[in-house]
Amino acid sequence: MKPNSDREWLKRQAALEDNCFVSVGGLVLAIEDLETQSQKLNAARQAFASLLNLTRREYKLTWEQFSEKLDVDLAELIGIDNDENYKPAPRTVTKIAQFIHVPAEKLFVLSGLARARDIHFQEAALRFAARSQPVKELTAEEHEALKEYVKFLCER
Amino acid sequence: MADKRTMTLNLTDQEMRLLDDLSARKDVSKTALLRQALRLYQMVETRLSRGEKLFFEDEEKKKAELMVV
Amino acid sequence: MKTPIEIIDNKTGQPVEAELFDEVTVEHFIETQQEWRPMVLKAARQLAARGSHELIPQHFHWDWTVKAPELNVLANTFYGIRYENKLQGLMKIQIVGEFCRCRLPEQADRSLVYVDYVEVAPWNLKVLMVALGEKPLYSPIGSRLIEAAVLKSKEEDCKGRIGLHSLPITEQFYRHACRMTAVGRDSAKQNLLWLEYTPEQAENFLTGVSP
Repeated sequence: MKPNSDREWLKRQAALEDNCFVSVGGLVLAIEDLETQSQKLNAARQAFASLLNLTRREYKLTWEQFSEKLDVDLAELIGIDNDENYKPAPRTVTKIAQFIHVPAEKLFVLSGLARARDIHFQEAALRFAARSQPVKELTAEEHEALKEYVKFLCER
Repeated sequence: MADKRTMTLNLTDQEMRLLDDLSARKDVSKTALLRQALRLYQMVETRLSRGEKLFFEDEEKKKAELMVV
Repeated sequence: MKTPIEIIDNKTGQPVEAELFDEVTVEHFIETQQEWRPMVLKAARQLAARGSHELIPQHFHWDWTVKAPELNVLANTFYGIRYENKLQGLMKIQIVGEFCRCRLPEQADRSLVYVDYVEVAPWNLKVLMVALGEKPLYSPIGSRLIEAAVLKSKEEDCKGRIGLHSLPITEQFYRHACRMTAVGRDSAKQNLLWLEYTPEQAENFLTGVSP
């Protein structure tokens, strides 16, 4: 690919483009789709918080120990666990993905940083969130749920 | 551009005529057309595997589902 | 692919070296949500407060992260322009698909590359920056993205043909700055104006030759 290196062309286009709005129809037409996405966001966020919490408990770590192991701020982990509207930093999500060995793009969707339209993905998040309960030690069922969900995230 | 690899493709007479015809109609080389076809196939497969359906719509806005192998 | 391109720093009026790349990732999409979207919203509110409703960007709620699943689909190519470690523009094109057919009678049904989504960082758009009491930083980002679409069309043997649906507010850019042919309004796409290039027009745009 050899873009134009002619500076006269550059200046001419800059002058022509001045005062112009640059966009195409696609941006606006897809906005209606976005409104239906926000309802699905809650289930994904719950699944993300559950995934984080169950992983921490699986490794028998306190939140502080977990944040040290992940090399992320403790405040980020607490935010994810306590506040379903909390948006973690992309770096935090990438570190969590590396620790759990799942593709980072999947966790970007679960964390609310990115959006997805995959029906199977959304349904699996809902099922996983529903199966996780807030007790001290992982039950055998929670252990199984965690294992299955991590496998699902890696496969798709 | 990404590195390219070469393959040999055997086509029937009918397939070759189809390729010639489409290539002329679309004003692209036969190679370019086959690469477009591959990408189109992947696009359709990806969306089908997400649970979406593919339809054609006629002028009267009647939808007919496309059967994809 | 990473290619150096020149853009103009409007503060000095001098060319500076930016980078055009096609290895767009979901992190770039997140960057647009974090860096672009708040400024677009702020400008939209200022324009609304002044009663300049016709200038309000219609895409101010757009979220690029919705497009993440399309990153690995070969029918699509995404391009970004980066300068000073910030994304200056983003584009998605389609090599094959529903809209990848010419509509101009002299090239009807021939293959073209469809420009599906284009967004220029808000700090590069005069309309938005004036609303915020500032000046646009870099240009011509839109032209550089359209240039990339035309060059990709040539790589894919579509002879430089590209097509797109323009929003009403952006028709001026495609008609006059890019000199594309307006073919007609598409009733299947909310009556948006369809514009396309013939190979000759594409070449004229690339070389700066007036028709």
